[in-house]
Amino acid sequence: MTRAWPWLCAASVALSLLMLGLLLTVLLTRGFGHFWPSALELATLDSGDMVGGEVVREAALPHREGQERLYFTANRDIDGARWRWVTIDSITSRQTPPGLLRLQRSPWGDFIGYLSAYEDGKQRLEGEAAWQALATALAAPANARPQATLILETVDGQVIHQTLADVHRAQRPNAMHLGEKLRDWAHGVWQFLSEGPRAANTGGGVWPAIFGTVLMVMVMSVVVMPFGVLAAIYLNEIAHQGRLTRLVRIGVRNLAGVPSIVYGVFGLGVFVYGIGSSMDQWFFEDTLPSPTFGTGGLLWASLTLALLTLPVVIVATEEGLTRIPDSQREGAVALGATRLETLTRIVLPMAMPAMLTALILAVARAAGEVAPLMLVGVAKLAPQMPLDGDFPYLHLERKFMHLGYHVFDTAFHGDDVQAAIPLVYATALLLVTIVLVLNLTAIFLRHYLRRQRGQPC
Amino acid sequence: MSLQKRRWQAPHRQRLDRLATAIITLGAFAVMAAILAIGVFLVGESLPLLGLNAKPLLNSLTPLAWGTLKAAIAAMVFALPIALGAAVYTAMYMPARQRSRIKPLLEMIEAIPGVVIGFIAGLILAPWVEQHLATTLVLLVWLPVSALLAGLLWHCLRQRWRRYLPFSNAALWLIPWLMLMIALTFWAAPLAEQGLLGKSLPRFLEVHSGIDYATRNAIIVGVAMGFAVIPSVYTLADDALSDIPPGLLEGAQALGADRWQAFWKVALPAAGPGIFAAVMIGAGRAVGETMIVLMASGNTPLLSASPFESMRSMAAAIATEMPEAAPGTGSYHLLIFAALLLFAFTFLVNTLAETVRLRLRTRLRRMEGAG
Repeated sequence: MTRAWPWLCAASVALSLLMLGLLLTVLLTRGFGHFWPSALELATLDSGDMVGGEVVREAALPHREGQERLYFTANRDIDGARWRWVTIDSITSRQTPPGLLRLQRSPWGDFIGYLSAYEDGKQRLEGEAAWQALATALAAPANARPQATLILETVDGQVIHQTLADVHRAQRPNAMHLGEKLRDWAHGVWQFLSEGPRAANTGGGVWPAIFGTVLMVMVMSVVVMPFGVLAAIYLNEIAHQGRLTRLVRIGVRNLAGVPSIVYGVFGLGVFVYGIGSSMDQWFFEDTLPSPTFGTGGLLWASLTLALLTLPVVIVATEEGLTRIPDSQREGAVALGATRLETLTRIVLPMAMPAMLTALILAVARAAGEVAPLMLVGVAKLAPQMPLDGDFPYLHLERKFMHLGYHVFDTAFHGDDVQAAIPLVYATALLLVTIVLVLNLTAIFLRHYLRRQRGQPC
Repeated sequence: MSLQKRRWQAPHRQRLDRLATAIITLGAFAVMAAILAIGVFLVGESLPLLGLNAKPLLNSLTPLAWGTLKAAIAAMVFALPIALGAAVYTAMYMPARQRSRIKPLLEMIEAIPGVVIGFIAGLILAPWVEQHLATTLVLLVWLPVSALLAGLLWHCLRQRWRRYLPFSNAALWLIPWLMLMIALTFWAAPLAEQGLLGKSLPRFLEVHSGIDYATRNAIIVGVAMGFAVIPSVYTLADDALSDIPPGLLEGAQALGADRWQAFWKVALPAAGPGIFAAVMIGAGRAVGETMIVLMASGNTPLLSASPFESMRSMAAAIATEMPEAAPGTGSYHLLIFAALLLFAFTFLVNTLAETVRLRLRTRLRRMEGAG
């Protein structure tokens, strides 16, 4: 038996690493894969029907032998559906015609079919010339595009007219070579990062969510850093190291283990309903009963997360402070420095990296936290950015979008979850990347500093 | 002149110093007041429940409490063996250099946001498991067995080959082995399912035992939240085990014990409290985790012990119902009471764990000094 157990232990390390690797691989491939212009397939069924679209996946038929394949067929304005399951046995031929086109449009989602003509009042272009004209028109910025109509034909022969103004992007993935696909992919990634969401969050980008997350985290840092550092200095440099201080230290440490949702409840009850409502009655009486600060918003979310990350900051800063040898402080005091001078000239500069680590860890924790935000001010779609050109520029009472909540909301409350999943993958990948990069920075910073000071790692 | 200046400076400097001390103390007390305020607020807002007719309200809390417990138990059942096993391996068998690389890697799991794990579990893993339930269950049993199989094969290997696959590296070269075993299961399990049952396992369960299978159930929550809990248990357990003075282990091994015996008879009794603390911290984390349970459980308040049925935890209920509950109503106070329960539970558990851990640490230090 003593020979068997170690193998199970080794396997648990291997299994944990495997799961982590699997999770990151899935996120990376599916997240980045979403932007890759995948081939469009034209399948002919034995009933004579034509199905044109992107192959999503295959699954076993529910109650009999065989497999079925899911196609993303788009064209919701024509047949009312975006997806179609096709039994594999019923497909007689599969082709990838180079002329097959995929348009991203505003009201109805994607279109998949052929471009038969391009009309812009003066002329009517057909065939390859139409595609060239469409590509040139879309290359121009949105307000400089010509007034034009596209005549489109679906794979089964229905003709629709589409105004150019509603079209965002056009691709013919089957006709692209690798270089073009790569360029298109990079363009897709950029659009995702820089544009707002479309079509009930199932399309477009996540720029407002990135912006909201960053702004919220910044406001939070401004609040949490001074208080956290002051508390750490007090605990380590000023307080009498007795039973009470030890108790407080354990209490602070434990706060890090309190579920985040509890902070959310506290934020809602105290900040929003308590302080916010009173502020409304004193300062914003003219707009009541519609609340200004009496509802969730950027300020309350930031304060709640500041409370949540307080233990992180205190613990990390204190760790840095305890690592400074007492001889440094004694030397300063022996030379006649007061406590303030010892702090500002000797201790704090030496503890600077620890404080930086504390800040990074706090930001990483806050960026990934969603549960408390659901109570104190996150929105699935914020109409206005919390930072704009109107006085007072930073609108602390406004609701904001958040990457983590965007993942939750799009994945679970959308009307077409299937269509949103690729985008959720991309958002999740972005969130994980941000959080992991922040954490890795903190780890390396800590490691580097310890080595620099010759302390054991 | 300089003397004059100094005479003027001295009180100024001291005044500044006193001011700074006051500001620091004030800041620290503000922090402590905020921390206390959380407890005071939760207790204060739960008190009105006493005045209300609280019986039916509290009854609606029962399935939530059960759901929380079920989710936490499922997560711990999945996480504990893996986390503790990993801690034993990295602390006892792994070379220090490799350990200093693997440990941060495992701790990285803790940084992955709960929403992302919840999304993968709820929307990707859950439908997959529903279609491949037999494969999943076989995997859960087969993977540990396959690790033992790897050990058996290794012992049969020639000495010459063993040198290329040393046991101290096993954590790394077992990864491809496990992948191979997973691939094998994917191939064999559906065949066995068809051959033995004739239909898919969820249908079989439904027809023959009347067990409902919900897509998002305790197994999914257990795997997803267990995965999230692994690093917090692992780190603390690994710390506790590697804090043991090496002299103790070396002594045991000098008396003829192998590493596992040294761990089982010497290290485990010495580090026991630390491992207990790790388990407690993990349990606290599992009870309070919100997003994973919200997304990976079906979120229906059921009183059922079946691992195939869904549940709703207190944290998830707070997250979904709290924004709709108007302040002052019974359900508002009830949700705050639920939050108070979570707060009290995690705070108690963590305090217990922390005191045990600190006491253990001083004891081990003393041991080290004596040895």
